[in-house]
Order: sequence, then structure tokens, then C-alpha cells
Amino acid sequence: MDYDEAQGYVVLSTLCMPLLAALIILFIPGSKKMAIRYVSLIAATAMLGLSIYIFTAYQVAGAGIQMELQWPWVENVGFLGEDGITLHLGVDGISALLVLLNGIVSFAATIVSWKIDFRPKDFFILFWVLVGGVYGTFFSFDLFFWFFFYELAVVPLYLLIGVWGSTRKEYGAMKLTLMLVGGSVLIWIGIFAVFHEANIGTFSLPALYEAAENGAFSTNFQRTFFPFFVVGCGVLAALWPFHTWSPDGHMSAPTAVSMVHAGVLMKLGAFGIIRLGIQLLPEGAAFWMPGLMVLGVIGAVYGATAALTQRDFKLISGYSSVSHMGYVIMGLATMNDVGVTGAVLQMFSHGVMTALVFLLIGALYDQAHTRDLKDYGGIAKIMPAWVVFYTVAGLANVGLPGLSGFTAEFHIFVGTFHSYPLFGGLAIFAAALAAGYMLRMFSIVFFGPTNPRWADLKDLRPLEAMGAVTLLAAIVLMGVWWAPFTDRVAATVTHLPGVIGIA
Amino acid sequence: MTITEHAYLLAAIPAGMFLLLALLGRYLPRGGDYLGVLATGTSFGLMIAVVANYVQNRGGLGGAFQHGLEAQEFPAWTNSIEWSTVGDFVLRMGIYVDPITVLMLGVITTVALMVNIFSIGYMKGEPRYYWFFAVLQLFVASMLMLVLADNLLLLLISWELVGVCSFLLIGFYWEKRSATEAAKKAFITTRVGDVGLFIGVVLLGKAAGTFNIQDVIHAAQEGHIGSTYLFVSMMFLFLGAMGKSAQVPFHVWLPDAMEGPTPVSALIHAATMVVAGVYLTARMLPAFEVAGDMMLIITLVGLVTALLTGFIALAQTDIKKVLAYSTVGQLGFMFVALGSGAPEAAMFHLMTHAFFKALLFLGSGSVIHATHHHQEMDELGGLWKKMPITATTFLIGSLALAGVFPLAGFWSKDEILHSTLDWGGGWAFILLAFAAVLTAFYTTRLFVRTFLGKPKDQHIYEHTHESSFVMTGPLLFLCLLAIVSGFVVFQDVGKAIGFPGGITEFIFVEHPHVFHIDWALAGTSIAIGVIGIFSAGWMYWGGSTVRSTKLAEWQPGLYDMITNKFYFDEMYQYGIDRGLLGFSFIVSWFDRYVVNDTGVDGSAQITKYSGSVLKYAQTGKVPNYAMGVAIGVITLAVVGLAVRG
Repeated sequence: MDYDEAQGYVVLSTLCMPLLAALIILFIPGSKKMAIRYVSLIAATAMLGLSIYIFTAYQVAGAGIQMELQWPWVENVGFLGEDGITLHLGVDGISALLVLLNGIVSFAATIVSWKIDFRPKDFFILFWVLVGGVYGTFFSFDLFFWFFFYELAVVPLYLLIGVWGSTRKEYGAMKLTLMLVGGSVLIWIGIFAVFHEANIGTFSLPALYEAAENGAFSTNFQRTFFPFFVVGCGVLAALWPFHTWSPDGHMSAPTAVSMVHAGVLMKLGAFGIIRLGIQLLPEGAAFWMPGLMVLGVIGAVYGATAALTQRDFKLISGYSSVSHMGYVIMGLATMNDVGVTGAVLQMFSHGVMTALVFLLIGALYDQAHTRDLKDYGGIAKIMPAWVVFYTVAGLANVGLPGLSGFTAEFHIFVGTFHSYPLFGGLAIFAAALAAGYMLRMFSIVFFGPTNPRWADLKDLRPLEAMGAVTLLAAIVLMGVWWAPFTDRVAATVTHLPGVIGIA
Repeated sequence: MTITEHAYLLAAIPAGMFLLLALLGRYLPRGGDYLGVLATGTSFGLMIAVVANYVQNRGGLGGAFQHGLEAQEFPAWTNSIEWSTVGDFVLRMGIYVDPITVLMLGVITTVALMVNIFSIGYMKGEPRYYWFFAVLQLFVASMLMLVLADNLLLLLISWELVGVCSFLLIGFYWEKRSATEAAKKAFITTRVGDVGLFIGVVLLGKAAGTFNIQDVIHAAQEGHIGSTYLFVSMMFLFLGAMGKSAQVPFHVWLPDAMEGPTPVSALIHAATMVVAGVYLTARMLPAFEVAGDMMLIITLVGLVTALLTGFIALAQTDIKKVLAYSTVGQLGFMFVALGSGAPEAAMFHLMTHAFFKALLFLGSGSVIHATHHHQEMDELGGLWKKMPITATTFLIGSLALAGVFPLAGFWSKDEILHSTLDWGGGWAFILLAFAAVLTAFYTTRLFVRTFLGKPKDQHIYEHTHESSFVMTGPLLFLCLLAIVSGFVVFQDVGKAIGFPGGITEFIFVEHPHVFHIDWALAGTSIAIGVIGIFSAGWMYWGGSTVRSTKLAEWQPGLYDMITNKFYFDEMYQYGIDRGLLGFSFIVSWFDRYVVNDTGVDGSAQITKYSGSVLKYAQTGKVPNYAMGVAIGVITLAVVGLAVRG
């Protein structure tokens, strides 16, 4: 077994790890809560290690798909030809970064879920299936498996929110699931259209990319079906106006699910726009991107504006997510290398900082049972560590240099000003508004006289602090020394079809 | 290898100390305040080494001329590394040391060291003592990085970092609502300017193909950037400078920022951070010069600010607020000089102002500390006897600010007035001279009402005592600088310390400007100071407010405008409440009741309603179903036949 093949097995074991954890937990009696937690912790730690390995081992010089593994599954049957459906795993520069994101966020989410006491067995099984689905989507280079894992990630959400959530949880769970399934239907239609149009009897993405390059998809076909992918995936990426599941869904979801959901799942949508939209249908992308730019700008400003007057912590984060995902959409819509790279960086950056924010909100809500800002005041006196973490996450949100948000937004705006200067000028006011809603919240909650009602709140517990430190490290690293991130992402982005370079 | 090429160490040392103090400070004895002094002291020492190295090597020695500039007497050192690459988009980070940088390094490290020492006395016994020193180090590091940066991106990064330090330090007493609100206001107001700076940087970077400052300037000068495009981007860049330097209409945040501890006001809100806008404008001046009417705009902004804040300062009763408005006004003076094409005058005034204004702030800090946090002039008075050192140094600082011969402020203000004449704006000269009279007036008022006359509150007076040496020491040192730093304008003094031609030639190399004393102008300057000082002295002598009350009653409308600071805050508050927050409520409402309830819940309702209607078809009775089947078959048959034709 040579080196490349061995690395393929690393990818495979990363994918299997969460599914294996779910399987093991399935056979542990529900009453043995500690055993379940330890299995989860071990799995999460292993996944974090493997994800870091995959990220660092990705060869920038090599670009393209690396650490491949191909296991044929169904071929030469009926409408399927050579390599019909293959378990084709691997990573490119974009997914290498997102895999790292998934490793970090799911690790932090696992350790904050330690305290879940209500049916932890079922919780963790669903949780690991979700995480496995996310890994699978990032790793898959086969449309069939891509979609399979994508659905595998989305479906457990309904139960996780509906059972372990809070605040109108049934409504939030139902709305989220219906909207996401609606999106999936569009993707499904798109996938079959592409399969049929290419007419080479395979779901293999590299093969389809090659076909696309050789003109298998007519301009009209691309223009017709690109919206299916963008809207279908866009729902999950909180693309305006398909974002309304996001504030409600976040409000209802339990801490760990909010973290994974806002941190990683929303990125699946944006990832899908690249993998399916831009890579398969570049001409369709070129045609529709100005429209997408408009939606991105609206999302960025609209989310920030709505966040200004919210009174619920999670609604602020929910709307700020809409705003930040608006930046991601803008970055993709620029169709130049800097903008698209910025979009991918923003996926990572928004992932870690939002996960941190939800972790902290959870730590507070579990004790205080209210998320109304006006109930608080002077929390800095009682929970200093909590406030420090929240301030850093909030400032990353605002786009402060030295933290990940700036790195991402800088690239996005350089890209946007290059292709659409006016939209860049409009959207950047969201950055000023972000300072407004963030500092308003800081001022109300952290500072001022301390409300005696909260005198016995506890600061972050060691496990929570550990999770927070992990996320914080990622935020700072990307903010200060971003070359390892940009190198990997750019290695792939510069080769995307239709993406132009800027001097 | 020279120390100048490694000038980034000046910033790296305080940055490292920030990490140490933030993480471990609370466990160290005395919160590690000595480490803070050590870090800024080291930077100060390195600054001396850089200056020495610089003046030794001028004249083309060892200068790395990256950008094809002609050999000049004062070379620039550059040192940079590649930071990241996306396709052809390469970012480099590095430092650039030229005379402006050297001057800024000198100002920053000197004031920072003094403030660090002073804070040991001033902040004694405050909660979060270690945190104060930690953030101070971060500030010093970011500020030094700002002036060392060789590219606009690194400048932007440091620019925002100093803003955050300012936010953290203004809100240092966060238990107080007013401090939190002031911190928020400062951050958001400057953030609006920062967004402008961001746009400007990105636009310039796009047009020039690089963020390197010298390359950008070069591109602008060579006409590689379209004129409208250049004007727009420089305008955005200048918005950033206006926000940071609190120029009208962004000036509202600086007086509120006085909620922070007084050493912070001295360092950040008088001597260093607020002059970042002046520094940026001076640094980019060659590009501003070719950008349409930008120079006129800069002059006008400076003039309006100098006059407006001069008036507002007349009626302030809080010591620190008077000084804050005065700072804004003096920054206005610097912008006038920049707009008149005299960066050397602006940078010279920046330096002298940094010293005497830091002195005045620290002096007011000494008063505030001694009187246990009383800073209203209406409660003070007669402090001269109680605190002679503070009072004497404060007097010298005040005279320097008023522009009295031969203190530092005289020379630099003189240069600025001179620059407006050279530029050919007689009206600008007259207005600025009037602003200078106002400066002398309110400065005198401040000193007289605080230190002379009878104490207004006997209780406060009796508990007052002179501050300890750790506080008066920095006052004395800065006082010395406030007296002598103006003399560097002379060629002979310059020659003695390494730059023949004096400071004004040293600072600006492209159009050497050698200082010659102009007795007519100097006479005018002296007259300005005398008029302001004597009219204020006459009005407030002995702590009496009878005459000033009469003046206020003479023009109640004007007095009202001045005491209410021309209603800027009220206008902004109205705009935010009715405009921005109103818009936010509308968006939230729209999101909830239109997008969500119509688009999402609405479709759910339709589905539900159709279901409830259609369920009646499900009767469970066989005859009904048979009837349905029959109707279906007949319909299909008819349609089928019709289609067949």
C-alpha cells in the first residue's frame, strides 16, 4: 500500500469514525450515561486529530483532489455505465479547510454536550449520524453519495431540535426540516438533470466535470438548472429570502446542535453551490452570479439591520448569521479567485466564531433560563472568563483585524470591489452595523451595574472552557497567520472553472 | 543589518508583554506594572537607537531604495516579507522607516513611557490594575505598528487594533453606565470612519495593484489612477482620518472618551491615537495633492473643527472636557497645515502638541487623583498652594498650548500660521488666528479657575495634596519637553542633534523647507497669545464669574448653542433613534410578518386549508368512490376522443 492509498484510508476512517461511534453507542444501554459520553469524547478527539492531519497533509503544490479512495459500488447496470456509482472519497483545498472546521466544531460541541442528561444515548447517536453526514458530504466526489450524505446530515436535525430544543421547538424544527427538504428536492432534480444531460452513465463528479469542460451541458441547460442548485443549497446557506428557518431554528436548537448547525451545516449549502453549481455549470454560474450578488448584499445588510433591535441572544446570532452568510454568497458571486477564496475563509471563520457564540449562550442559558438581553447587566463581574470569550467572538464577528472575520471579509471585499464596486460599497455598511448590534449587546449584558438576581451564576466550567479555547485558537490563528488557510483554499479556487484571477 | 531594519521590535516587545500580562498579570505582584514600564522603556531605548542609527546613516548610506526614488539625503529603510498569496494577489507585510516614522516613534515611545510610569501612581488600588497595564501594552504595540507599516493593509489592521484598545480603556470603569456608553460611542463613531478607510484602502489597492504605500503614492503621482477614481478613494481614506482624529462631524466621541482613566486620555486621546489621522494624511499627502480638491477639503475640515471646538471649549466646566475639545481643535490646526501643503508644520505641531497636551492631561490627572475624582472647575480653585509642582508644570503646559514665546507651542503654531499664508489663503489665516485666540482664552480660563483664586469647595481643598514623585516625575520630564522641543526648528539645534536644517527640513524631504524666523508673523503670534490670555485673565481673575455671566447674558442664543455643543449629539441621537433603529424595526417586522408569516407559514396554511377541504372527498362510502371512478373514466374518454380528433 503506497502513501496516497494510505492517506485515502485516513479519509475513510475519518468518515467512519462518527458512524462507528453512533454504532457503538447504539449497543450501550441508555442508563450507562458516562460510557456514552466517554465513547463520544474519544471519537470526537480522534476526529479532531484526523481533521487536523488531513488539513496539514494537503499538498498545496499538488492542488486538485488528494487522498483519494475509490470503491466501485454499482456499475454497468441498467442506466449506469462504467463507474456508475462509486464511493469516491478525497479532499481538495476547499474541503480540507471545511473538514478541519467540522473536526473543531464537533469536538467543542461534544464536550459541551457532556451535561445533557435527558436521553444522552439517543442524542449522541443522532448527533454522530449528523456529523458523519457532514464529513461524507465534504469527502464525496460522487454525486450519489454526495446527496446521500447531505440528506444524512439534514434529517437528524428534526429530532435533535424537536426533542432536545427549547422555545417553540416543534415549530422551529418543523419549519427548518420542511424548508431544507424543499431545497433538497430542487438539488435532486438538478442532479438528475445533470446525470441525464451528460449521458455518460456515471455519478462520478470528476467525470462529470470533465464532461462539462468538453461542452456536455449547453448554455441553455446550464442557465436553466443552475438556479436549482443555488436555491436548493442556498436554503441551507440561509440565502435571502430563504433564510427564515435560521433565526427560529437557532432559537429552538439545543446548544450543541446550534453549534454544529450554524457552525458547519450552513456551510454545506455554500459548499454545494461551489461543488455542484460553479464546478458543474460554470456558464450558468456566470449568467446568474450578478443576481446572486444582489441577494448576498441584501442578506448582508438585511441581517445586520434586523439584528440591531433584537432582544434575544440567539436571534441576534441568527440574524448576524444571515448577514455573514450574505458575505459568503457575495464572495462566491464575485467569481474571481480572491472573492471566492474569501467566501471559503468566511465559511470557516463564521463557523468557528458562531459555534463559540452559541457555546457561550448555552452556558449562560442553562443557568439563567432567559435569553432576553434586558434581564441582564454587569455580567462581567460574575462571569469574567465568559465575557472575555464572548468579547473576542463578538469582535471577530464585527471583523476586527487579528481575528478570523477580518481575514475573510478583507478577501471578500477585495474581490467584490474588483468585480462589483457599488455592491461592495453598499454591503460594507453591514460591517458598521455589526459594530452597532454587537456593542449594543455588550453594553447591555456585560457592563453596567450588576443585577443581584444573577449573583450566583457560575463562570465557564472546565469542559466548556476547553471547548471555547479550541474555537478561540482557530479564530486567532486565522486572524493572524492566514497563509496556511489561503494557500490551501486558493490552490483549488484558482482552478475552478469560470473563476478569474485578479492582479 | 541595522537596528532600523528591525524596528518592528519596538512593537513586538510591548505586544509580547501584553500576552504575558493579560494571561499572568493577575498572579504577579503589583499586577506586573513594572513589566509594563520595562516593555515601553525598552521600546523607548530602541527608539533612541533607531534615531541614532538613522541620523548616522543619512546621506544614502545603506538605504534600500526599492521604489526607484532618487537618492536623497534622508533615505527610507524597508524590510518586508511575503504574507499570503491568492493567485496573483500577493500580500506583503513589512516596515518602512523614514523621517515621519522616526518622529512618530519618538513621540509615541516617549509619551507611552511617561504615561506608564504615571499610571503606577494614578491607578494604584484600582480594580483590574493588571488589565489596565496589559491593554496599555497592546495599545503601544498597535500604535507603533501603525506608524511602521509599509503597506495600507497593515496600517488598517493596526488602525482598528488601536481603536479596540481605546474602546477597552474608555470603558475601563465598566460598572459605570456612562463609561460603557462612551466606549460604545467612540468605537461606533470611529468605525464609521474606519469603513471609509477600508473602502479607500481596497480601492487604492485595486487601482495600484499593491497595498504598498510608496507604490500607491507613486501610482497616483504618475497618473496611473483615474482622477475621479483617485479623488473618490482618497476621500474615503480621509473619512477614516477624520473619524480617528475626531474632526467635525466625527468629533462627538472624543469628549465623551474622557470617561476613561486620565493617563489613557493623555496617551490615546491626546498624544497618539487621535493623531493617527494626521499621520495618515501626512503620509499620503503626495497622493492627496494630486487628488482633485482634496487639499481644500482637508483645510476646510481642519478650519471648521478648530473654530467650532474653540467655541465649545469656552463654556465647558469639566477640566478634561476643556482639554478634549482643545485636542480636537489642535488636530484641526494640523489638518489646516496639511491642507496648505505643509506636512512639516503639521508634524512639528503634532510633536510639540503631544508633549504639552500629554503634560496637561497628566497634570489634570494629578489634580483629579489629589482631589479624589473631582474634575469640575466649579468645585476647584486655588490649588496652586496645595500642589505647586503640578500647578507650575500645568502653567507651562498651558502657556505652550496658548502659544506663548518661546515655548514649544509657539514655534509650531507659528509654522502652521505661516503655512496658511504661503498657501495663499488670507481668509484661512485670519480664521485660524481667531481660533488661536480662542485657544489662548480657554486655556487661561482653565488654569485660572483651577489653580488660582479662592477654593470653591473648602472640603475638597483641604483634602488635596501634592502627588507622589512617580506622578510628578513624568510631569517634570514632559514639562521640560514642552519648553525645549520647539527649538528643534532651528538649524543650529538640528545640527547638534543630527539633522542640519532643523526639524522642518528633516520631516519633509521632497520640498525641503528651512525655518527662517519671520518677525512680523512672530509678532502677530505673540499678539494672539497676549489677547487671548489677557482677556481671559481679566474675565476670570480671582475665580470670579461675574463678567463671564454678563457675557453669557449678552447673547443668550449663542451661549445656548455653545453650551449645548451646537446640538451635534442631539442630531445624531435623533437620526439613530428615528432613522436607523426605526429601519431596523421595520426590517424585523417585515421579516417576521411578511417573509415568514406569508411566505413560510402562509404556504403551510394553504396546505393545511387544502387538506381540510379535500378531506371531505374521503367519505369512506363505496357509492361515492364508484361515482368518482365513473366520472373520471367518462372525462378521460371524452378528453381522449377530443384530442384524437
